[in-house]
Amino acid sequence: MDKIKMTAGMTWALVCLVFMIVFYFGLGSFATGFSKLPFMKLNPNTSGGEVAGEVVMDNCTLVIRKPVFEGFLGERRKGFVQVDWRGEVSENINDTVDFNFDQIPDFIIVINRDLNDASLIAFNPVVKDIGLSAPTSYGWSVRVRINK
Amino acid sequence: MDENINNQSMRKSFGKSLLYTLPMFLLTFVLMTGGRPDFSDRHGTIALLITFVGLNILYFLMHYTGKTDKLRAVLFIVFALTLSFTLIKNMVDIRQTMTYSQGDILECNMPFCHLVIPMLILPAAFTQSIIYPGSILGGFASISAMVVLWLGASVILGRGFCSWGCFYGGWDDGFSRFRKRPVIRKIGDSWKWMPFAVLLMVALTSALALTPTYCDWICPFKAVTEFEEVTGIESAAKAGIFISLFGGLVVVLPILTRKRIQCSFLCPLGAINTLSNKVSPFTVKIDRQLCNDCLKCVQVCPVFALTKDDVKKGNVSIFCTKCGKCIDACPKQAIHYGIAGVPASRMVKFSRNIFLFVSFLFMAIFASGSIITVVKSFVNLFI
Amino acid sequence: MPESFILGLSSGSSCLLTCGMVIFPYLMARSAGTRRIITDLSLFLLTRFLVYFLLATLSFYFGKAIFTSPVFRNYISGILYIIFSGMLIWYAIRRSRKPGCPARIVETVNNRKLVPVLLGIVNSLGFCPALLLILTKSSAEGTIVQSYLAFLGFFAGTALYFIPLPLAGKIRKKKVFETIGVMATGLAGIIFMIKGITSLTGGFIYG
Repeated sequence: MDKIKMTAGMTWALVCLVFMIVFYFGLGSFATGFSKLPFMKLNPNTSGGEVAGEVVMDNCTLVIRKPVFEGFLGERRKGFVQVDWRGEVSENINDTVDFNFDQIPDFIIVINRDLNDASLIAFNPVVKDIGLSAPTSYGWSVRVRINK
Repeated sequence: MDENINNQSMRKSFGKSLLYTLPMFLLTFVLMTGGRPDFSDRHGTIALLITFVGLNILYFLMHYTGKTDKLRAVLFIVFALTLSFTLIKNMVDIRQTMTYSQGDILECNMPFCHLVIPMLILPAAFTQSIIYPGSILGGFASISAMVVLWLGASVILGRGFCSWGCFYGGWDDGFSRFRKRPVIRKIGDSWKWMPFAVLLMVALTSALALTPTYCDWICPFKAVTEFEEVTGIESAAKAGIFISLFGGLVVVLPILTRKRIQCSFLCPLGAINTLSNKVSPFTVKIDRQLCNDCLKCVQVCPVFALTKDDVKKGNVSIFCTKCGKCIDACPKQAIHYGIAGVPASRMVKFSRNIFLFVSFLFMAIFASGSIITVVKSFVNLFI
Repeated sequence: MPESFILGLSSGSSCLLTCGMVIFPYLMARSAGTRRIITDLSLFLLTRFLVYFLLATLSFYFGKAIFTSPVFRNYISGILYIIFSGMLIWYAIRRSRKPGCPARIVETVNNRKLVPVLLGIVNSLGFCPALLLILTKSSAEGTIVQSYLAFLGFFAGTALYFIPLPLAGKIRKKKVFETIGVMATGLAGIIFMIKGITSLTGGFIYG
């Protein structure tokens, strides 16, 4: 029994030695393979959700994402919808957003970029308030809190 | 085999040490140059050569002197310092500040570090997604690459990752060596279970809030990397917490106790790595025939991995980070690196050689990037 | 509900540590087998659930009567969170803690069938700091459903510890789990302390 344990331990140690040598050479491939696993995608609460539609305006594009209600176990009652302005965003933003694409405006966002001040006028009763509003490298992003 | 174990036999002759260093020499050269050496950038070449030579000298000395801990600590601490410098420099170059804004989080371009891993497990299992605002693949410190790196190291080294891989541990380790003698000597042994409680709480809170709460609220190392810009009460509270924790657990208490307090009492990844010690083939063993129960090893262990009972049993606990401090400190050379399943005092030299090769190779390549960057900055200044 | 579940999960180990060694003998003594154990344990947990349901109702209406405005509610609940979480932290770090289980009073009861029910009532009315925190939380909730959910989360968190109770004797290294559990209780106290301070200063932790 002792001999078996010794052999097993030594074998495992030698395998680790070989693996460590190979490991760094293959790190790129291992990482690429690992990234293809089903759980290796960003949670919508982190990424902002999938893009639902785009509205092309004069100098920029308004990207409207799908509402996010994802919770740990099932969906939450409270969520958000993220709206991005991409391109040459004007100093003052005053845009009407229809996030569920039912041809009825849901809210108006008013942003003064210089003062970093954002306000919301809600038409849809599920729309609550602004959660996050921040400049990004591509323009501006806002997360509006909504209820289900 | 290996019946007469003393420091003389752990030391190797000059020639033999060179021979043992040769594989490391070759592998580090290939891995650091990516297999395609490019010496067109003069400053880059100088930095590469300095780093390369420095790393291999350290490895050579480990064989030549028969000592492990102090030499390991040199690289470990340099790694921590250079990594912080590199990260901060990277942030300042891109954003002109050490702070990150809400916009950076929205864009999901936050560099990933292995301390996040405990918080990803439950959400990944239940929601099939990652809750960290970083890049899955590509870019600086991608999630996939860092997780794979940690997984591989954990399986091979177990909690040895905490002394041979973690690029934050060097801060703790460095400050714990400031004083020759500790000011606070008596610390309750049960505190070493605190990381498990922290792991439980951060795993739960992160899963339920779907945001990495340890990074958000607790991580002391935001003080030496990047942190959320202070825009209100909540962000000010977070800044207060991480500055206090860094000051207390990483600087002051390690200086006063000569122990790695943050690593031993807070780090949730350390708790997971403790469990992976069961998988790693490498361990530390105590030869009861040589041991005189002086308990010097218990005194010097920086992570509370040894108690009187452990010494009597001849095995270190699962908290051992395989730093080598007890091995170097033992006056009877009764402690040595071992392999699981191999009895104490058997195959001692072989076990040490194989462990040193594996662990040093990992640390050397992991650390080389940031060390080269910093050395190059100095070279740019002076040449 | 997530916060109350975390509180229940982290303080449940202390609850078990305090009362487990009183409840366990009653559940195990003179048992006819697995079926009897499951029945007794189910009665015990059901009773706890019903008591919590009652407490949730009472605390909600009490809160409605006392908290006349949202600002007042924030201030009072913030102060109470700070006090009770401080008690929870002290409860966790107290060195000379000799846990006194209120369920000991049930030792005087002769009726075997009533014992699990009485144990459930007494254990759930222990008024430990964790329960005080949940009472504060549920009294400050906006609707009675939220109040029930707060207690449901707390019940679920604590119940998880009692379910494997019949296997307690077989678990090795119990002391380690007890130590981790007590530390987790202290950390939960810190979380609620931060929540209390933030509530008091008018901020919010979770969106």
